[in-house]
Parts: sequence; C-alpha cells; structure tokens
Amino acid sequence: MRPNTSLTTRQLLTAMCAVAVGGAVGTLLRDLITKLDHRSVLYTGWTGYAPLQLDHNWIYYIPWALLCINFLGVLGATRMLRGPLKGHDPNDPARLLIITGFFGGLTSYSGLFVDFDLLWHHSITGCFFVAAAAIASGFFGAWLGLQRRQR
Amino acid sequence: MTLLLVTIAGSAGCVVRYLMEYAVRRRSPTSRPWATVAANVLGTGIAGYFATMLFRYSDAHYQSIILTGFCGGLTTFSSAFAIPAIMQREHHWRYSLTLVLTTPLLCTGAFVVGAAIVH
Repeated sequence: MRPNTSLTTRQLLTAMCAVAVGGAVGTLLRDLITKLDHRSVLYTGWTGYAPLQLDHNWIYYIPWALLCINFLGVLGATRMLRGPLKGHDPNDPARLLIITGFFGGLTSYSGLFVDFDLLWHHSITGCFFVAAAAIASGFFGAWLGLQRRQR
Repeated sequence: MTLLLVTIAGSAGCVVRYLMEYAVRRRSPTSRPWATVAANVLGTGIAGYFATMLFRYSDAHYQSIILTGFCGGLTTFSSAFAIPAIMQREHHWRYSLTLVLTTPLLCTGAFVVGAAIVH
C-alpha cells in the first residue's frame, strides 16, 4: 500500500496535535519512571541526575529504569504495529498518537547516551557491557513483539 | 513547574521528529526510516552538547528540560527497532539490520562531537 505522502494543512495540524499529545504523555511517564530509578532516589533525593563525584562501583550507575522503559517500548510498539495498527497509513492520527507520539516520547536514545557517558567515567568495560545489553534488549523486544500470539 | 516544562519540551521534540519524518516521506517515501535515524542522531548530538555543558553548572532544572524533555522526545528507541522489525517482512532483512546497527554508531559519533564542541 502506498503511503499518503502529502497532507492538507488541516490534516498536518491534526497530525501534529496527535503527536504532541502522545509525546507529552510519553515524556511525562518516562520522567516520572526514571525519577524512581535507584540512582536518583539514593543520591539526589528525587531531584534529578546523580552527581558524578560520588565514587561508586559502576554497577550502581546502570540505568535500569530507562533500559526497562526502552525494552517495553520496543515490545509494545512492535505489538501495536503487528496487531491493532496493522496496515495503518504512517500519517494516520491513531498511529501517530500511539507510535510516533506515545512510544516515541516514552523511549529515548539520547537518555541512554547521557547515562553511558556517566558510566564511562566509572568503568569503560561496564559502559560497553551496558550498551551491548541495551541494543540486545531492543532486538529481543522486537523479536518478542513479532511472535505470533498464542491462542 | 519543572515537570510541566519537561512535558512541553518532550512534546515539542516529538513534533520536530514527526516533521522530519513527514518531510522525508514527502520527498522519497521509500527512505522514510532514515528520518528516524537522523532524528536520533540529532537528538543524541544535542544531548552530548548539553550534558557536557550543563554538567559544569550542575543545573538539575535545565538538565531535566533539555535532556529528559526535548532530547528524550526527539529521539526514540521504540521506532528505531520496531519499524525495521516490521519492515523486514516487506524488504530484505539486511536493510533493517543496517538501519538498526547504524543508529548506535552514528549516535556515538554525534554524542562525542557534541561533547567535543564544549571542550
């Protein structure tokens, strides 16, 4: 099926609104969940990023919350694209709201790299290990999402 | 208040990413996934710049808005894996694998360049 390539101004505005709403919900959820991360709770008391000067084992700097969010995001997005949103046009507002907006805002690539940067200052091996785990979790999530649902 | 601004910034990041995808799809519908790769690389580059710069001032407020909010919204992990995963049924799997594997490599480069600009 050929995707709809050009939209009217009204359609484009609707599309942007759908993405904005989905993205707002996704980002808010990610912000709240990463605040529950043990690093924030232990070191900065719910305010934000862990200060670098704390000398700890790199194990303490693994971004568990973001890794879990990204894994569940890939799994959910693949499931939605395979199931309810199958065959929807990429400019369809429902698809934009859920895939581009919600899951796009929920998951983050740049956040991972900010955390890798933090890890790098503690252990380069650890940084490579966590980076490999992040990519592997993406592959695993996509693979799991493509599996046929058991009836 | 920070939470509201983070949400708005994330929303804006998502809209920027969508407009990039829309602009690419309009010109060449077949190369659409590369817009997502470009958005990820751009967002990670901006994150590299601001993570290094804001760390010097250790400003949690702006860190949240720019890094978690705007860059987090601009980049996406789910589309980076889910779209190629769906596409490998229509295209050759090597195309999807190329998409998935070039993203982290280009992002690493962008992050390092962004950080290097500050230094």
